Amino acid sequence: MGARNRFAERDIALIALFAALVAALGLVPSLMLASGVPITAQSLGIMLCGTVLGSVRGFAAAGLFVLLVAMGLPLLAGGRGGLGLFVSPSAGFLIGFPVAAFSIGWIVERARSVNAFWAAAGGAVAGGVVVLYAFGIAGMALSLEKSLGEASLLALPFIPGDILKAILAGFITMSLARMRPDSVLSRRNRHFKR
Amino acid sequence: MITLTSPHRTRYHDLPAGFKLASLCVLTVFLFSIDSLAVHLSAVAGIGFLYALGGSRFVRAGVRGLLPLWPFVAVLAVWHAITGSLITGIGIAAKLLAAVGLANLVTMTTRLDDILGVVRKLTLPFFRFGIRTGGLDLAVALVVRFTPSLLRKGQSLATAWRARSCKRTNWRIMVPLTLSAIDDAERVAEAIRARRGS
Amino acid sequence: MNNTNKPLAVLSNVVYRLNGQTIIDNISLSLNEKRIGLVGCNGSGKSTLARLICGLVSPSSGRILVDGADVSKDRKSAIEKVGIIFQNPDHQIIFPTVEEEIAFGLSQTGRDDSEARRKARDFLNLFGKENWADKPVHSLSEGQKHLVCLLAVLAMKPKLIVLDEPFSGPDIPTTRRLFRYLRSLQESVLLITHDVAFLADFDRVVWIESGKVFMDGDAGLVLDEFARTMERRGETDDYADFAA
Repeated sequence: MGARNRFAERDIALIALFAALVAALGLVPSLMLASGVPITAQSLGIMLCGTVLGSVRGFAAAGLFVLLVAMGLPLLAGGRGGLGLFVSPSAGFLIGFPVAAFSIGWIVERARSVNAFWAAAGGAVAGGVVVLYAFGIAGMALSLEKSLGEASLLALPFIPGDILKAILAGFITMSLARMRPDSVLSRRNRHFKR
Repeated sequence: MITLTSPHRTRYHDLPAGFKLASLCVLTVFLFSIDSLAVHLSAVAGIGFLYALGGSRFVRAGVRGLLPLWPFVAVLAVWHAITGSLITGIGIAAKLLAAVGLANLVTMTTRLDDILGVVRKLTLPFFRFGIRTGGLDLAVALVVRFTPSLLRKGQSLATAWRARSCKRTNWRIMVPLTLSAIDDAERVAEAIRARRGS
Repeated sequence: MNNTNKPLAVLSNVVYRLNGQTIIDNISLSLNEKRIGLVGCNGSGKSTLARLICGLVSPSSGRILVDGADVSKDRKSAIEKVGIIFQNPDHQIIFPTVEEEIAFGLSQTGRDDSEARRKARDFLNLFGKENWADKPVHSLSEGQKHLVCLLAVLAMKPKLIVLDEPFSGPDIPTTRRLFRYLRSLQESVLLITHDVAFLADFDRVVWIESGKVFMDGDAGLVLDEFARTMERRGETDDYADFAA
């Protein structure tokens, strides 16, 4: 495994650029999305980390983004950042970002026979909504001292928006696959160049 | 890039980053493991005092850092008013304010490169068989360098859209934006390889 | 020269401020010529002026009419009357294939998608580029991408085409070819460029300096003076103008 785990320059660059993409998306609230839905595109960026980069690199990109937020860069939507976020009720979502990206990538990598839209949208719903909200809801339950059921009530209003983003992640990944098949690394031949 | 470090210098800026982060960990664990209204309220008071020592501008910045919590505090207020357990609610809110206030205090008084130094030490064992040394610094620098440039690209794509359409931009401009992130990464990797000679 | 009574674009007392800085400082222009050049140093405000003329930004005060339409308020007319091409095609091509890219603009002016696509194909035929329709944009060369940007704008049949330094990216042969294309156009053209050689046979050149019109008139006269001034500034190495 040693050689496969090593990140080459290209991987570091891809991971950093996708972390930057996630950050940039947080700074343009609701600019890119379907009209009239005032949601930030940041979690869409996390989904793309998984659908485009795949599990390991997607995890690293989302993890790098979260690390930078923790270190005090105001990269989270609305210009927020810092350690306070990691003890606030929404901490679970932040901590769940890398895990969500990993799960999405893991699913997309295993669904190569499915067309790009369904693989990416399905992966994004499972990882970017189900997994992410499991973390987010657990975090809220812990910090607000509520039961999981009660905490889910708080998260409920945001789920439709994130399902919409998962579908958009599907469309975007499909377009990328159509425009430049080799850009969707998660669906490239596993042994491409190591 | 702007960081959240307070430009207004306080005595806390001079404390070693490792010490601040370790204390933060211990105090946060303590706050969350203790279930006592008196302890939580005195923690809020104590942290308020720590901010107050930094001067009025520092206090204002601290209060701004706590503002994102208000929806949760509002939810707690409503919930516990309905269930008739306001005291419990106040306790939870106080614990939250204390924990977030303390963590923000560390963020506000610790420079990015000092935190990076601590992160580097902590993650060393991982990177021994993962990213090669310097990979993390490089990745951090790249994010800081490319976030504004991707933002600008997004804005020019949105402008190009508006030049030809009255409708609002939608997800479609994400496709060329994502591609440009991939292309930038390829170019950066080449530049790094050229300089590292590997 | 075309001599209709009504000028194509009229700017009256246009001021544009951003974050307390005045970027365009009371410019009034009446643009009627077929080929107009816009020159100026970096930061003189020429790109902002281009965006104002396309209605992409609204003036802080003053008014801009293109073919009678207030471009920043009446966006629907604006996109029919004036088209803009930016420096880097990668920052403006939105769609994966050439046909979609061209159909996008067409579908904005009341046509449905299938009709827009048919029109896009017809339009490509007109230029002898019918085999481009299904081509992925990324497979095109840099010069071809520039041409796609131009075709996408031409397809919307605007009265005025604004080009914001289109010649600073592509190589020399591509630039020459694009320029020839440009000269053959029926539409009025406003070309922003550093390279005065392209403007030699233009009808008029406007020189912008610190957000104001510094010189305006016959291309030969303005370009001579512009070239001389730029030359002189280049020779001084004290960076005096950077201090201002």
